[in-house]
Amino acid sequence: MVEGGLILSCLIPAFHFADGTWPAITVSGLFTFNVGLFLTVSYHEARRITDKRMAYLLVVIMWVVTSLFGTLPYLATGVTTSFADALFESASGTTSTGATIFSAVEWLPASILLWRSMTQWFGGFGIVLLVLALVPSMGINKYSLYTAEASGADNTGKQTTSMGATVRHTLGIYIFLTLLFIFILWKTGLHIWDAVNITFTNISSGGFSIYNNSLGHLTHLQQYVIAAAMLLSGINFSMLYYFLTLQWDRLRNKFDQLASYLVTFLLGALFVILALAIKMDYALPDAIRCGVVQTISVLTTTGSLVADTSAWWVPITFLFVVLSLCGGMAGSTTGGLKAMRVLILIRNVRKILRDRLHPRSVNPVRLNKKPVSEEIITNVMVIFLVYAVVIFVGIMLLMLSGINATESIGATIACITGYGPGLGTSGGFGCYAAFTIAGKIICTFLMILGRLECLTLLILFVPKFWSRG
Amino acid sequence: MTNPTPTPLPPHTKIDEWPAERLGLRKFNFRLIARLTGMLLIYMALCMALPLAVSLLYQDGAQFSIVISAMLILMLGLFLRNFVGRKATFDLKESESYWFTSFVWLAIPFSGTIPYLFSGCIGSFTDAVFESVSGFTTTGSSILSRPEELPQSLLVYRSFTQWIGGMGFMLFAVAILRKLGIGGEQLYEAEFSGTRQRKLHPHLSKSVSRLFTIYIILTVIMMALLLANGTSVFESLCLAFSTVSTGGFVPHSMGLVTLSDGGLIVVTAFMILSGISLAQLYYLFTFKWRQYGRDEELWTYLGIFFVVATMSTIAFTTAGNDFRTSLRYSIFHVASSMSSCGFYLPKPQHWSFVVSVLTFLIILMGASAGSTGGGIKILRVITLYKYIGNYFTHMIHPNAVTCVKVNHKVVEEDYINKIFAFVFLYIAFIIIGAFVLTLCGCDIPDSICMAAANISNLGPSPLINNLGGNLDYSILPHFAKWTLVTLMVAGRIELFALIAVISPAYWKRG
Repeated sequence: MVEGGLILSCLIPAFHFADGTWPAITVSGLFTFNVGLFLTVSYHEARRITDKRMAYLLVVIMWVVTSLFGTLPYLATGVTTSFADALFESASGTTSTGATIFSAVEWLPASILLWRSMTQWFGGFGIVLLVLALVPSMGINKYSLYTAEASGADNTGKQTTSMGATVRHTLGIYIFLTLLFIFILWKTGLHIWDAVNITFTNISSGGFSIYNNSLGHLTHLQQYVIAAAMLLSGINFSMLYYFLTLQWDRLRNKFDQLASYLVTFLLGALFVILALAIKMDYALPDAIRCGVVQTISVLTTTGSLVADTSAWWVPITFLFVVLSLCGGMAGSTTGGLKAMRVLILIRNVRKILRDRLHPRSVNPVRLNKKPVSEEIITNVMVIFLVYAVVIFVGIMLLMLSGINATESIGATIACITGYGPGLGTSGGFGCYAAFTIAGKIICTFLMILGRLECLTLLILFVPKFWSRG
Repeated sequence: MTNPTPTPLPPHTKIDEWPAERLGLRKFNFRLIARLTGMLLIYMALCMALPLAVSLLYQDGAQFSIVISAMLILMLGLFLRNFVGRKATFDLKESESYWFTSFVWLAIPFSGTIPYLFSGCIGSFTDAVFESVSGFTTTGSSILSRPEELPQSLLVYRSFTQWIGGMGFMLFAVAILRKLGIGGEQLYEAEFSGTRQRKLHPHLSKSVSRLFTIYIILTVIMMALLLANGTSVFESLCLAFSTVSTGGFVPHSMGLVTLSDGGLIVVTAFMILSGISLAQLYYLFTFKWRQYGRDEELWTYLGIFFVVATMSTIAFTTAGNDFRTSLRYSIFHVASSMSSCGFYLPKPQHWSFVVSVLTFLIILMGASAGSTGGGIKILRVITLYKYIGNYFTHMIHPNAVTCVKVNHKVVEEDYINKIFAFVFLYIAFIIIGAFVLTLCGCDIPDSICMAAANISNLGPSPLINNLGGNLDYSILPHFAKWTLVTLMVAGRIELFALIAVISPAYWKRG
């Protein structure tokens, strides 16, 4: 239903720019609106069902249905005739991935551009809401994928109590940030239309652009502003909320994650800056600008580009792949494994070593000075392993669909983490247009899989899920 | 199964102070480690008798350099054993077994370079270290683009290093430790790193000697079969050494093309055999066949082999090769990748992506635990697979009471956590290794495959595109070679030992 509203709001630019797409947008908007209404009703029915399975199913349906209906504006306006293309673009929007099938976006009608940006803004918000508010309230159990973030590692007890409050806070922060950055960008001299679109896609760590050369179109100052927006979008939203409401003592609960996120960013940026300056003969100010902006874009899995990264030195592109796998903090709009999981994985290795060295000592894995329970560690490990297997299978399937090894690796990781640009032709300012239909569908699937952190979607394929009892 | 009777430790006379102590680092029994390493080096010097005999037999002119190298290694060993380790107390703590492992893996491959350098076959030190480490870790990556130019004795030496490495000189060490009256259980476990190998005999040294006997028997049988199939004595000796140890050094740049069909079948069969746990092979030879029904790992190993070989045959046939070639190549290639031998045949005319991906998968999985092969090991894969299945069940039925059983035994959480951590480290090592390799100018898929092939101790693999014609690593820059050397050792000692000695926690006073 919300989506229908969103599509209808695209009428504004359609009328404003008079690009002749308004009938199509109106039709798809109304259609989606009706279906949304129907679904909302059934959702309220479904809430009475306390079965955990329903919860998983609902989460998946939310994303799949949104992606499906998101295709309507593309198809109705005729910017693409292939359903696979439209689905790819739509899923890339709602999962805030930012991979595109349009080789040039500047010729697209303004309403479509706004629609693309909006799906990302909406998708980015959706995932934050899912992790921070919906999942805890749906009572998904301790074996769920969001265990670590939603309950365990943050067991300070005094989280915001009701779901309604969390939703309000999150929404408030999100809108506040969006307006703030639109304003700042506007102040730096950007047209309001550009400012809105660019903020929408970057605050949601999406990465769609309304220009063929993405951030390269902007001034240096504006690029730094965008970098700040991306940096914030990689931080846990409750943390931002506590920060803005001056409840600073609560920030300690997630301090480790924040530190590791920032340290990863700094180290990555340092390497990229050095590599750009030494290996690629960038002038130092350019190297710093490109290094900082691009690294943060990768780490938050945004996918906005300051330059054509596919032409960069191979180790940098490889580093980007690894950084996008790490991702930002959980409870933010970013994809990837998330800083907390990476921390737990590394600290668990240390714990095992200590156990070996001092067999009688007790060495819990600690996060923010509090021991992390066994269940969470297992949860993290399972997600890591499933993630690795899914990436592997993704690469295999893409290779089977006729894409070469480098590009398969790039595309799989770009899609599952939600970064966007892959390696080779799909990387940099390139696009996924050259992929076969099978390839595009695999990528679409990977995007949704990555956004829902694998387990939620994969569990639907376990036969036991559907059996009674 | 009972534990061996605890051996009385000799009374602590005095724990030696080592400079590390003064630096504020933890104290550890440095002298004992030196002494044990020294003993291993002495044994290794004695092993040089074999290449020497070959050299004398073939008159290849390398006898003097071999004698001198042997003397040097002997002297180094004596120095460590009788000078540094003279006053050693015989008490090896758990934590020190890591040190021992790492120190041995430093000392032996480095002294193993001496014959290469002295005979002048390999000019640069980096190359010699690469070849030597690749030998002792049973990897089989080589920097020699034309191995046949080397004297025969050195080629035998090269394969022999794999044979020694395959048995794991740690097992020798375990046997030695028993003689010295120190419990070697930790080492035995370090060698098989927590995969819970069944001991064949309550007495550790007896289990070791049984394993060792099997190893020798396999080698001898294989050599005999190769001879029967018309391979020369020299070549069958080399091939037997590098196959049974899942090493993969080939004494000829043509690879195995020169072998007869029969010879090829023998090599393939022994590759498959050497990917099976030595303990299982012991049961085979002692007719305790009932053990087989119980062992999940063995059947999974064979099952995966069968399925992957079938799939790649189909893939090759549909790619346009004729059935016979596809079948022949597939079986050989899958056996070689899975057991981490790393032998190769010329690629069939039409390559298939399916096979690339499948190969990568089986390279990572590797062979059975307790075999000479590398990789993550089938046992761990089975455990994880079952555990994740169990996890899904719990996601659907949170209150279900279930357990994970492997080989009819319940697996504890603690153990599963270790396996998870191991796999995480494995992937992390591959990613870091591949990153460093891209710094040296390799492209991304090649880097990943190279890192995976070397950490799994496979060696050359047709997946890696930009190697020399003989799938040799000679074209890589030195830095890349050192990276690969690190990966090979890391893979062979199964990561934790290496991580342990470089982690700060290890160095703290404890």
